[in-house]
Amino acid sequence: MKTGSLGRYLVTRVLLAVPSVFILLTLVFLLLHAAPGDPVTATLGGRLPPAEIAARQETLGLNDPIYVQYFNYLAGALTGDFGNPVTDSRSVVEIILETAPATLELAAAGMLIAVTLGVVVGAIAGRLRDTAFDVGGRLFGVVIYAAPVFWTALLGQLLFSVKLGWLPSSGRAGGFDAPEQITGFYVFDSIITGDWEALQSSLLHLILPAVTLGLLIGGVFIRLVRVNMLQTLRSDYVEAARGRGLPERNVLFRHAFKTALIPIITIVGLQFALMLGYAALTETTFSWPGLARELIDFVGTRDYAAVQGIVTFIALVVVGVSLLIDIITGIIDPRVRY
Amino acid sequence: MSTVHGSEAPADAHSAAVNSRTPLKKRLQHIYRPFRQTSRISRGLIFSGLGVVVFFLLVAFVAPLLYPYSGTQYRKEVAPGEFVKFPALAPPSVEHPFGTTRDGFDVLARIIDAASLAFVVMAIAVSIAMLVGVTLGLYSGYRGGKFDRALVTVMDSVYAFPSLVMAIIVGFVLGSILTQGVFSAAAAVAVVYIPQYYRVVRNHTFSVKQEPFVEAARSFGAKDRTIVGRYIFFNVVQTVPVILTLNAADSILVLAALGFLGYGVPYPIPEWGLDIAKATNDVAAGIWWTAFWPGMAIVLLVTALTLVGEGLNDVVNPLLRTRGKAGRKIAGMPRSRRKNGDGGVTRSADAVRGAAQEKLAAKIRDLRVGYRTSDGPLWAVDGVDLNLRAGECVGLVGESGSGKSSMGRAMLRLMPPGGVVQGEVEIDDRDIVNAPESTVRKMRGEGISLMFQEPMTRLNPLMRVSDHFVEMIRTHQPKTSRQRARTMARDALMQVGIPPTRVDNYPHEFSGGMRQRVMLAMAIVLTPRTIVADEPTTALDVIVESQILSLLERLRSEENVGILLITHNLGVVAEACDRVAVMYAGRIVEMGPVDQIFNDPKHPYTRGLVASTISLNTTELHSVGGYPPNLVEPPTGCRFADRCAYAMDHCTKVDPELTTVGPEQQAACLLYPGAGADVPADVRTPSGDPQKSEV
Ligand code: SF4
Repeated sequence: MKTGSLGRYLVTRVLLAVPSVFILLTLVFLLLHAAPGDPVTATLGGRLPPAEIAARQETLGLNDPIYVQYFNYLAGALTGDFGNPVTDSRSVVEIILETAPATLELAAAGMLIAVTLGVVVGAIAGRLRDTAFDVGGRLFGVVIYAAPVFWTALLGQLLFSVKLGWLPSSGRAGGFDAPEQITGFYVFDSIITGDWEALQSSLLHLILPAVTLGLLIGGVFIRLVRVNMLQTLRSDYVEAARGRGLPERNVLFRHAFKTALIPIITIVGLQFALMLGYAALTETTFSWPGLARELIDFVGTRDYAAVQGIVTFIALVVVGVSLLIDIITGIIDPRVRY
Repeated sequence: MSTVHGSEAPADAHSAAVNSRTPLKKRLQHIYRPFRQTSRISRGLIFSGLGVVVFFLLVAFVAPLLYPYSGTQYRKEVAPGEFVKFPALAPPSVEHPFGTTRDGFDVLARIIDAASLAFVVMAIAVSIAMLVGVTLGLYSGYRGGKFDRALVTVMDSVYAFPSLVMAIIVGFVLGSILTQGVFSAAAAVAVVYIPQYYRVVRNHTFSVKQEPFVEAARSFGAKDRTIVGRYIFFNVVQTVPVILTLNAADSILVLAALGFLGYGVPYPIPEWGLDIAKATNDVAAGIWWTAFWPGMAIVLLVTALTLVGEGLNDVVNPLLRTRGKAGRKIAGMPRSRRKNGDGGVTRSADAVRGAAQEKLAAKIRDLRVGYRTSDGPLWAVDGVDLNLRAGECVGLVGESGSGKSSMGRAMLRLMPPGGVVQGEVEIDDRDIVNAPESTVRKMRGEGISLMFQEPMTRLNPLMRVSDHFVEMIRTHQPKTSRQRARTMARDALMQVGIPPTRVDNYPHEFSGGMRQRVMLAMAIVLTPRTIVADEPTTALDVIVESQILSLLERLRSEENVGILLITHNLGVVAEACDRVAVMYAGRIVEMGPVDQIFNDPKHPYTRGLVASTISLNTTELHSVGGYPPNLVEPPTGCRFADRCAYAMDHCTKVDPELTTVGPEQQAACLLYPGAGADVPADVRTPSGDPQKSEV
């Protein structure tokens, strides 16, 4: 499959992603419009005179036939204009720009913890198959995945914030502690502005949510890494490597581990999407001012514009991550050529 | 060139033998059999998981009848018409074992009620998902075309999207259409799993349609729907229980998540996630019991279901099944006492002389290789002696399962998990079988090299060929520079006829024959005294085969390397070897110079092999009729007895030993004097009767 360049491959991949984003948008549009009621009545009904409500519905185009609404919406999406939510003075794009960094920062920190945990424990468990460590690691993986993330979060808050008082129980670094906003990623921002107090506060606020999220996904990774390790450990070339007299350390790391990593990287990508879902739960529990929490609230108020805008954004992030994963795999695995 | 095909032992004989008329007990045993093959720990996990699930079923459907309160009860009747409210936020006590909530509900009662809700939602959600997913999958895969492609794209988009977010939207929409309740929650949960079932079923359906046998059946006018249906059924039946159990576990989490966010069932219906949401404020006040218990219930039930699902997966996926660690002892494994091969108990004068006068590339004494199997331990190699002289090529032939490959690996002490090696393999005056691990590693590749069959899978796909060489050379000779190691690699490649310019290519850039030559180059780069070549030419074409063989020939004559050539192809042996050892059921049954074995085979088994190779009508697969014996309980007496046309009464009683039957030729058969000390000479039939050699 040695055709074309990386550039052309990327373009193809992006083009292939277009239908999938489009499908999601359509699905969400249809679903939201299938529900009875509309955003104006849902949020302002009873608080404004009926004439006023009708006028607002008219300006928002809610009285147009559904296909007109659909095309208007698609046209808006194409030009990057997702309109304005009913219940918020900011535009949808502004909301996304403001809250997405918080979610992505949380998800990235969680992923870092998950991958470290999963790879270390999973690889050792696969190597020490059927020992106490293996059984312990597997059980830990299962149990931690079985625990609802909001429940572990509550227990963490109870222990580390309420009883011990070591960590802040909710929110991001706020007020004077917040770093100067440049990218919106607090940890990053405080490092580039050299604001060490902000960095400390940002990290302290991040620890509990990120660990809760990371443990959960880490449980999945432990099991995954273990199984892949087991499979590569009995593959032909690992036996051949042993037959050449290589020390076990090299057999493990250079031969078994690196190959086991390829399917794992792919799954990390898939899990990242899953993680955005869990982030909604974590954000709610920790009052983390993120995108996922906004989305949950906007669903409740039936705010078409906001929900559709945020869903589009999440779909784009998912596509972007899977693209990134493909590129990384291509770098590691010489058999993949674009 | 004619080939002797080994007769494959039916690996899983009794799994094929179960049909509808098998008695129930047998059938249960058959179902349980794969469980037995998993490790004790995995089994323990599955069964404790099952236990917890049963416990929860009891909690859900029996406990409500026994426990005095219901989940939505906030007061109790102390006298007719007279009610007393439960205290709010009471800590656990005798009256309320798990405490009460802010609204004065009994926590334990709510947990019990929520358990039945969880099972109901689980059942509805998984049924909906399966029904929709399987139907769509079947239809789309079967129909193919544009419809299929469109649906695949839709499902893949949904699959990649965060499922929880999707479930929330669906839960909300259904909740407002149908009113929020058990069904809307269950349907929202189901949405998460539909794409999974769809993908599994659709891919099976799609691939089976293209199978040649379906094509063939269609041309005969058979209803391909039946075939497709049956095939898919059997494939899907294997995967679906695993998906189903894992989804059931997951559905509890999704339900709880929906409940927690307020898109599941409405309060005050007892539901674990919802109850945890209600307890959020209690936590800030340091009250633990309202949040703790519902969470514990989720953790326990989900863990248990996951353990069952993963356990099933272990059972279905045989790859993960073999247990045990490689070592040198298997407890409780009977050790057979007999020795076999040259230089053993019946050490022939020739062999002794050979050992004393010539330098040996490898000296093998009483080599045994044991495995644990689900039916019990067995010795795949059962006491073999062999002298491999320097500059000599010995062919090791036998059917698949005769133990020849195990023997080749044992010479480097390479064992899969669950295997043991005993005896001695002496190379350069060091015994590799009993040496410490560090010595063994040093000897591998430097003293003795193994060339594997299947060259396609023996190189690490992620590493350049040069890296393979450099890594190996510098492991054995840490002082060698990278540059020097690369030069050595180029030289070795050149020797096997590969342009040294290709040293930096990746394995997938070579053809099969070239990869086998790369493997050979790696085997010789450190100039070992001994090379074990396991089927080095299988799957290669005739031209590449003769290239490889002539390379081996040159190593032997010019470098004085001792070569053990493992093969089932007597043609290869005739072309490349000086001596042959014939292996049967873990033992050497005959051994001697190539021309003698081919022209005057003595052992009835060898006669069968040679006859079927030399005569022209060798189309049948089993060159020697029958199957090798079951090595878990090897027969007493001669192991070949039930396939042997010469078998005599005492053949099933006396175990034959190798005895000299010609110049440098030995055979283990009671037809020849010396093979069994206590067999009277008069019962022996004369040997070498050509009439009888058609086995
Ligand atoms: S010992 Fe008996 S059964 Fe065995 S090969 Fe010789 S004749 Fe046949």
